[in-house]
Amino acid sequence: MKYIFFIILSTLSINLFAQQKQFSKDDNGKFIYYKVVDSQTVSKATLQKRALNFVNDFYKKQMKLASQTDSSVVASGKLIIDKTVLVIGHPSGEVNYNFTLETRDGKYRYWLTDFEFIPYKRDRYGNFTASTTVATPLEKERSKLNAGEWKAIQQSAYDKAAKFGQAFEKYLATDIAVKSQPKAPQVISTKKW
Amino acid sequence: MKKFFTAIFAMASTSCALAQETPTSPLEISGSVDTYFKYDFANNPLNSKTSFVTDHNSISLGMIDIALKKKTGKASFVGELSFGPRGQSQSIPDAASGGSSFHIQNLYVNYDFSDQFSMTAGYMGTFIGYEVISPAANFNYSTSYLFTNGPFQNAGIKATYKFSDKVSLMAGLFNDWNVYSATRGVSAVGGQLMVAPVEGWTAYINVLSGAGFGGYGTIEDLTTSYQITDKFKLGLNAANYDINDDTVPGSYIGAALYPQYAVADAVTLGLRGEYFQYKEAGAIPKTSFTAVTLTANIKSGGLTFIPEVRLDHNGDKPFFKENGMSAPNAGQFSLAAVYAF
Repeated sequence: MKYIFFIILSTLSINLFAQQKQFSKDDNGKFIYYKVVDSQTVSKATLQKRALNFVNDFYKKQMKLASQTDSSVVASGKLIIDKTVLVIGHPSGEVNYNFTLETRDGKYRYWLTDFEFIPYKRDRYGNFTASTTVATPLEKERSKLNAGEWKAIQQSAYDKAAKFGQAFEKYLATDIAVKSQPKAPQVISTKKW
Repeated sequence: MKKFFTAIFAMASTSCALAQETPTSPLEISGSVDTYFKYDFANNPLNSKTSFVTDHNSISLGMIDIALKKKTGKASFVGELSFGPRGQSQSIPDAASGGSSFHIQNLYVNYDFSDQFSMTAGYMGTFIGYEVISPAANFNYSTSYLFTNGPFQNAGIKATYKFSDKVSLMAGLFNDWNVYSATRGVSAVGGQLMVAPVEGWTAYINVLSGAGFGGYGTIEDLTTSYQITDKFKLGLNAANYDINDDTVPGSYIGAALYPQYAVADAVTLGLRGEYFQYKEAGAIPKTSFTAVTLTANIKSGGLTFIPEVRLDHNGDKPFFKENGMSAPNAGQFSLAAVYAF
């Protein structure tokens, strides 16, 4: 019983610590999600190719390529913020961002910045859609009346950016040829045992 | 209630199971709750000529509205029910007679054949007009004459083609207005052209012709809004409805303007100025209303306080003074609280 209590307490503590992570600010006072990744086994050209594939194919519904050079990729994208507990919830808004990647042989860095929030509202058909075209910079302070909700949006945006980062790093670490190969369904033979 | 929750959790569990097979969204649950106080300056409860907010000098209920949505692959459904005066006896139709039942706001299925083309069938919020039944989707708490006299909902089947983010076209076949099953067959045809010429400006040009209020008729409607600056938004609704039999009352024409200005991130002020005319029908002469409504939206999270002052005028004196004599003017104050989740 004590062990169960200890495990629950530890899990809650981990969750609490996890919720504390927030955006850092860049030189201009804007929120930024910034990572430098060591990738010793992957060349610059391969990183570029995989990054472009990520933007133009894998994440094409959420991202749009803005420009590219032989050592950089610039794109814009959006993260959907939702009020979801387990499998029940609904989207509450979207956060638009600008994405930049710079590559070198054996390492790369990327960052997401210029975060802007657009709230969603339920329309006459019961669908959640953007309620305005006016986007609010995510680092902007809100009045006391909406400070709590705004903090939750900032936190949710950070979590989504971190998730995006994980997906991006995983994609760049994986061979595209392997990714594009359809996974053969597992066949279990009952003839021999 | 137990069955209701069991059903929700069953659907949620299904979505978990299906998540491994097809792209699926979480089960969306959303809705709103609203309550209000209204005081008529002439101390007369009969001075409300538009929908809802009917009670005078009373802290009264609006409705609780609960919507479910689920999308699995290309198919989705929306089911939305409301309970309470605004969603029962004051909406049409009440699901059961006697005004003590519930109201179906939306109940439809949708299939996205492609990113551009989709089809929807069932009972849907109307595509006509600026305002809707749900107070969470309106800026003003009271409603306009155009809303009150137009359709609330349409049952039917419709196809929508999205040419781009700036242009889309909808066409459909519908039952008569506000009925769960057709009383005169699938007897109306409707269409909507959406255009978004510049960022922040969206316009809907709507037509619905066939079985409707007062017989067969045609309604033409323009609903548009333009976010002109970060703080200033302007909306417009103009409509014309003609019943084919011009001796039947109910034909109308009108326009409403909705300027809104955000004075702070939590506070927006808005005005609704409306002109509305019931057209002449046989021996019944035309009669015209003008109304001005000043509204504030004060938001804190999901909660919105809506203080509102409304002034109505009609030269034919359909309103009442405190002593019961007819009057050309009416005025009301209301304070509503709407929580959307």
